[in-house]
Amino acid sequence: MNRRNFLKSTSSLALPIALNGYSLNALARNSTLVQSLLMTNAAVADRILVVINVSGGNDGLNMVIPLDQYSAYNSLRSNIAIPQNKVLALTGNDATGLHPAMTGLQSLYNDGKLTVIHSVGYPNPDQSHQRSSDIWMTGVSSNQYADTGWAGRYLDDRYPGYPDAYPTAAMEDPLALQIGYLTSTTLLGPVQSMGIAINDPNSFYTLVGSATATPPDYLPCCDAGDKIAHIRQQQALSVGYAAQIKAAFDAGTTRATYPTAGQNSLADQLKIVARLIHGGLKTKIYFVSLGGFDTHSAQVDTADNSLGAHASLLGKLAGGIKVFQDDLALQGTADKVIGMTFSEFGRRATSNVSKGTDHGIAAPMFVFGQNVQHPTIGLNPDLSNLTVNSDGTKNIPMQIDFRRVYTDLLNDWFGVDVAKANTLLFKTSTTALEFPTVSLFSKVVETVKTGNWADKTVWSVGRKPFATEFVRVNAGHTLTVDTPLVVRNISLLGKIRYTGPFSIRVTG
Amino acid sequence: MPYLDPYTPTLTARTAAHLLRRATFGPTPPEIAAFTGRTAAQAVQTLLANVNLSPPQPVDLDDAQATVGQPFLQNATTPAGDYIAYVGLRNSDFGNYIKYWWLNLMIQPGPVNLLDKLTLFWQNHFVTTREITNDYRFVWSYLTLLRTNALGNFRDLVTKMTKEPAMLRYLNGDMNEVGTGKANENYARELQELFTVGTVDAAGNANYTEDDVRNAARVLTGWKYTNYTKEASTNFATTFTSTKHDSTAKTFSGKYNNTVIAGRTGATAGDLELTDLVTMLLNHPQTARFICRKLYRWYVNDTVTADIETNVIVPLAQFFVAGNYQIQPIVQKLLTSQIFYDEANIGAMIKSPTEFVVGTVRFFQLPIAPLTAPYAPFRKTMEYLYGKIRDLQLDLLDQPTVFGYDPYYQTGYSKLWSNTNTMAVRSDISDRLTNGQLIYLTTYLDIAPLTRAVALQPNFGDISVSNSVPPGTAPITCVQVLDSFLTNLLATDLVQVQKDFLIDTIMMQAIPRSTWEFEWNTYRRTVTYPGSYTTSAIANAKTAVNNRLKNLLKFLLRLAEYHVF
Repeated sequence: MNRRNFLKSTSSLALPIALNGYSLNALARNSTLVQSLLMTNAAVADRILVVINVSGGNDGLNMVIPLDQYSAYNSLRSNIAIPQNKVLALTGNDATGLHPAMTGLQSLYNDGKLTVIHSVGYPNPDQSHQRSSDIWMTGVSSNQYADTGWAGRYLDDRYPGYPDAYPTAAMEDPLALQIGYLTSTTLLGPVQSMGIAINDPNSFYTLVGSATATPPDYLPCCDAGDKIAHIRQQQALSVGYAAQIKAAFDAGTTRATYPTAGQNSLADQLKIVARLIHGGLKTKIYFVSLGGFDTHSAQVDTADNSLGAHASLLGKLAGGIKVFQDDLALQGTADKVIGMTFSEFGRRATSNVSKGTDHGIAAPMFVFGQNVQHPTIGLNPDLSNLTVNSDGTKNIPMQIDFRRVYTDLLNDWFGVDVAKANTLLFKTSTTALEFPTVSLFSKVVETVKTGNWADKTVWSVGRKPFATEFVRVNAGHTLTVDTPLVVRNISLLGKIRYTGPFSIRVTG
Repeated sequence: MPYLDPYTPTLTARTAAHLLRRATFGPTPPEIAAFTGRTAAQAVQTLLANVNLSPPQPVDLDDAQATVGQPFLQNATTPAGDYIAYVGLRNSDFGNYIKYWWLNLMIQPGPVNLLDKLTLFWQNHFVTTREITNDYRFVWSYLTLLRTNALGNFRDLVTKMTKEPAMLRYLNGDMNEVGTGKANENYARELQELFTVGTVDAAGNANYTEDDVRNAARVLTGWKYTNYTKEASTNFATTFTSTKHDSTAKTFSGKYNNTVIAGRTGATAGDLELTDLVTMLLNHPQTARFICRKLYRWYVNDTVTADIETNVIVPLAQFFVAGNYQIQPIVQKLLTSQIFYDEANIGAMIKSPTEFVVGTVRFFQLPIAPLTAPYAPFRKTMEYLYGKIRDLQLDLLDQPTVFGYDPYYQTGYSKLWSNTNTMAVRSDISDRLTNGQLIYLTTYLDIAPLTRAVALQPNFGDISVSNSVPPGTAPITCVQVLDSFLTNLLATDLVQVQKDFLIDTIMMQAIPRSTWEFEWNTYRRTVTYPGSYTTSAIANAKTAVNNRLKNLLKFLLRLAEYHVF
């Protein structure tokens, strides 16, 4: 961003500017002028995504526990298995339970504010932390490389010309914001990160508030010039945004009771996010993280498998999400915020002798918020049908490609069209989503291909529809039905082929 | 195009400063002067000759302890290889003192040399952290291994590192045993992915398979360490337990030419198989390139183009292999190469937090409190500098992950050191050092711009008390002040319009330059004839010039140009 141009452009819109400290008037962004400049419809335009990076490779099998296969689960990992009687039960779901430290998420699940997506991953998995993180963050296949993050590409498409032309009157706030010091690959745009990093809004403002004049923008040649330009841009962005962030932080409040600062680093980060959202910051994507999940050893307590290092981390994850979601509800902002968790990979189904787990493949993901429509997507991993390594240890194969979740976030949450959602994930179709929906935000369970009704891969949600769910058989798909069925309602755009005298009962 | 051929011109102040900025944590002005006029080969020879592999050991820095000022690891009476009895209560203190000890070596109380910059490279390559290693003796043993082998042989370094207690602990090598479900693959994976062959080659092909990870883990079964945090213990060791070792043959994939490492039994099995494993890893064509590419990114430029890959990395890797993996020759070759001194590589990277903080302390030759009683001034100085470097995302000896600090491997590389947050923190640090940062009681870290300006003024007192009489010796001008402050400060040159801006807008705040000379002469008079002025007049005269000098220096250190090197 060239700040002189920035001042000029904002001055021409007659926004109040205090030159010493560059504090822009916080009211400006709510003015009718600014509102009228917003491009898309307000409902979609205001939506926010909170990304929680669970880094290190989370042991999904001790987080979301397949109660329907408890003995197989226990025999894979008896030295770290969570005792059956301690697993948290989920309303209306006997097959699955949560780690005992996750009472916060149990409550969100029972309230219909949490979706558990089982066994998320990608084909030909990579078990390097770095490479697999890159795959998730850049949104590519494992044989594909990209220099930009999936969320960064989305923001670059929505806000072209960032950072040179920003802040603008229509978007005075950071596009994305990461709590911390470094910005994630997820937010990388084609030029640089689409997000900015702050650790604390007040200290950030104090630090940058004393900035003085802009020197002439001469640049030397080559890499030196490139690096100098980058630094100047960071300095200018920090000045350009510090006052906006501080104003939102001051205007916002938190209404839920967060843990004492320092006890749960995720809750600390989400508390800042909640306050900024309440304060009206228009930032679209927040990125926070909780590390320490690389549990090769001692992931459980020596005496009690339900306690220990992993339990403590899961407690922070669940507690942080719960208090944040409660806060949003109390603030009245819950309708415009959705959250997701991701980790670079899951861990081995088989534990190791050090009471730990080595790198694995697929693991569950959580999506939370009041707009999620299904408590579960996909099914518990089939523990009798795992991938076997050459040394006999077993891995959990993928059911749901993570890019299907990204697709729903892009297409349904942020409202980009089908072609754009595909393009952002390096696909080309202009008519059909190449990573089919998982119906994250739709009540309707739909078909994604032709097949047998009982085949879980036929359905957007990666499992057969429940009797309480709405169903759509899409045009061009033919479903074979070989048993009597019950659904809430059915919309038939494709065909159903009955193999006998069966019917589908609609409860309405 | 300039590549690895020797750079033959004698060094100018500019190229000498470039060498010192890259090979150390930043030069002092006398070092730049001393290196000017030498050839690159002579200069690098000096940086090598000055290496001291056994500086005095860390000492207890807590004045409240009876052992203050004494070594806590080894002293003159400790038997070779042993340690002073372990004290669990002091574990955290001593771990920090080892960090401070290393930081102090980076600031370099002794003759300028390249060892600790290179040691940091290796420490960030073979990462273990104080936090997880925990036992301060393990940390020391690991750091000593890195320092003493930093210029040595890579084969030895990999082999020794594999068995180093800190590494066995950090990557769970001690938990890796024969038997179903008893393998721990953590070290076996990182050994390949991060320490030797790397994940993929330049074309993106995987350098090893998942089965190679499992087989390397089998080779590495059976290693343990003793006496971890054992109170009062006077030694610790790496041990090999043959009954926990997988004695069957291990067959690797085509990535390693289907190498078979024969299974061994008995007490020597672990070492024999480790030797075979390291040989196999070093025979992999990507290993030497992986190391050379990383060194190039460390010393020359974090952008590696296809041209550089072909003409610098590949030949340097061949040289590395031909020299049986000796490290010193490749470092020497790189630091004396034409590509290193290529104009396009000067200023081509963003300073890391150590290069920024330590470099600033060194450039302004800020005095560090002596390592004598009382020890608090020294300890607090190191605490302060260490804390600032950590706030800027480089926690010495405590990397966030086994990959090392993000800007040395993530897309964006050195640009990642600079974001909205870290640039704000950097400005705060340089402002404080310019204003004079109180460290402890009467100990300051103070760049003291006024003192520097006074030193520029010839015959400071050669001025009449009367302001109607022209001074005997003319005052220094704004231009002289700026030129002096800029001498060797930046890796790249400023253009005239930038210099004018610095004087007219920052230093003089849009009033005429001649005002400076008037104010400066007033200050000279108040210092020379204090009896003729009121206390407040004396203070005002000093504040007037001091504020201008501080504003100028603060702004210089906030310039983006100061943060590239």
